[in-house]
Amino acid sequence: MTMDDAFDQRLKAAFADAQAPLEAPSEADIFTDKVVKRLSSPNRKRVLILGGAGSTGSAVAGTQLEGVFSSMPVPADGLLSNVAFLMSPEAMAAFALALAAGMVAVILPRRIV
Amino acid sequence: MAATDAELTALVIATRNDAAFGELIRRHQALVRAMLQRMCRNHALADDLAQDTFIRAFEKIGSFKGTGTFKSWLCSIAYTEFLKSARKRKSTERVLEKFKTGVDDVEAPRDMGNVVDLDRALATLKEDERAAVVMCYSCGMSHSEAAEALKMPLGTVKSHVNRGRAKLQAFFAEAEVTV
Repeated sequence: MTMDDAFDQRLKAAFADAQAPLEAPSEADIFTDKVVKRLSSPNRKRVLILGGAGSTGSAVAGTQLEGVFSSMPVPADGLLSNVAFLMSPEAMAAFALALAAGMVAVILPRRIV
Repeated sequence: MAATDAELTALVIATRNDAAFGELIRRHQALVRAMLQRMCRNHALADDLAQDTFIRAFEKIGSFKGTGTFKSWLCSIAYTEFLKSARKRKSTERVLEKFKTGVDDVEAPRDMGNVVDLDRALATLKEDERAAVVMCYSCGMSHSEAAEALKMPLGTVKSHVNRGRAKLQAFFAEAEVTV
């Protein structure tokens, strides 16, 4: 605690006087509105970075998927016997990239508490 | 009956309710802005930092445990924002010079006699002394609350407050003699 003598009272009064104009209802409302608007609108820089990362991921995943579908074998003895093509390196890379792109696009833009 | 800070905080934690947080901002904005204005000596910068303080508080409100007051918790976030900003400012000498002359060149014409005197008096203190004095006298914190917010030992805060107070007393005494 402070000393609470005459000078302390004077000092506290000076700080209170300095704060008084900020306590006016109009001043409080203007400031509050500004902050609440910022709360409801996500940071533009953050959106641009995440959007850019998501777009890059999608573009890379798209080029990989093209390779997967072009080399798809025609099923001769039923679909299950040809399921091994899904384990090719191209396919796994494509799924991994698609998953990463999906995470960026869906999970990261949410506000982290 | 108006909801208490604790009730509003619990509502914000549970529902991320903007309106409830808006009420908390309305209640505490003057305190946070005044504190930052005394520390920065630049009103526009102080208001920007105050906005950042509330945004940061909203983002990490889940970490508010309720062991101290909401006001003290907010002031400690405001002080962290102030330190971050001060570090950036110190990175360029030119910007630093601009802020050093801020009180005389920018604040003096505001026609707020006592406020200008107070800012000039506070400018004579070292940064740590000013922070401790502002926390205790402007925010109404106890020494232990200020120590927690400033992340300093209690004894250090007490000596900063006492030394700062003595300097302010000397400043005002000298000003009265001059007048």
